[in-house]
Amino acid sequence: MYVLHGLRPWLIQRISAVYILIYVVYLAFSIASASNIDFQSWRVWLFHPFNTIAAGLFVLALLMHAWIGIRDIILDYVHNTLARMTAFTLVIIVLAGSGLWCAKILLLSVRAY
Amino acid sequence: MKFRIYRYNPDVDQKPYMQDYELNDVESGMMLLGALLKIKDTIDETLSFRRSCGEGVCGSDSMNINGINGLACITAVAGLKQPVEIRPLPGLPVIRDLIVDMEQFYQNYRDVKPYLVVDDPMPEAELAQTPEQRDKLDGLYECILCACCSTQCPSFWWNPDKYLGPAALLQASRFIEDSRDQATEERLAALEGPFKLFRCHTIMNCVQVCPKGLNPTLAINNIKKKMVKRSL
Repeated sequence: MYVLHGLRPWLIQRISAVYILIYVVYLAFSIASASNIDFQSWRVWLFHPFNTIAAGLFVLALLMHAWIGIRDIILDYVHNTLARMTAFTLVIIVLAGSGLWCAKILLLSVRAY
Repeated sequence: MKFRIYRYNPDVDQKPYMQDYELNDVESGMMLLGALLKIKDTIDETLSFRRSCGEGVCGSDSMNINGINGLACITAVAGLKQPVEIRPLPGLPVIRDLIVDMEQFYQNYRDVKPYLVVDDPMPEAELAQTPEQRDKLDGLYECILCACCSTQCPSFWWNPDKYLGPAALLQASRFIEDSRDQATEERLAALEGPFKLFRCHTIMNCVQVCPKGLNPTLAINNIKKKMVKRSL
């Protein structure tokens, strides 16, 4: 994991931030230009292959960005080794769980499209 | 003029306390160090603090003045909000009153090998530099190691034994940038890992308080750029 590195997570944090920013702008633009806002048109939009992949990359970037950010906070403030390990584990469980859930939703789109 | 000064003598006091002083004859243009010396001479000779050159060159009288680190000898009392609250540098153990134990700070400084490493045989005359190569050291070599920056840095407060702090990293940059140094690779490799350099979160307290007007954040970012270049 990235706990033991310095440069790589720092770089990933910055690159993922750029992608997240671009995606959020694209998402806002897509919502603003949508003709009608309902669940059905959201599904159609999300399950377009381009949007599915873009959203998948967004989730990946967000997970990595969140992991590095929370890792930094834990390294700063949690000094007891056992507490630190517990905190890391909890964060990884929550992030991995969220990631799998998003993956499930996005992969279902393969069938729906 | 009113002063409120942190006092602690571990031989006598159970815990630190703040003591009020009032100085009536504050001359115009007086520096804070002058006021402290006057308090020591005329009111309370037990008040302890470090001082040496008295003109911002030696970096001995760094202290926390109204919450912001600085050198007492080049801080004019005129502009200070009263009562002037003076505390020792935060984040280091207090020896007595305004005197702190700087050992951790110096250890971090030693950690970056603050000297030229040259493997080639030494030339008969000096190691020459072009004016451009020399210019790269400007803004780095002027550091007087007063510790104002590192002890104002939250990342240093939380991990003083693992994070080198802005002062040591500025010196790391000073030798990484030096054209005569031949250990750039080793220096960059030594700073890898989550703690030594990468606890810097660009808070920039160091830049705000440096009495010499240096920019450790910029130096740290230049090191990061060199590390990226080296790894890609």
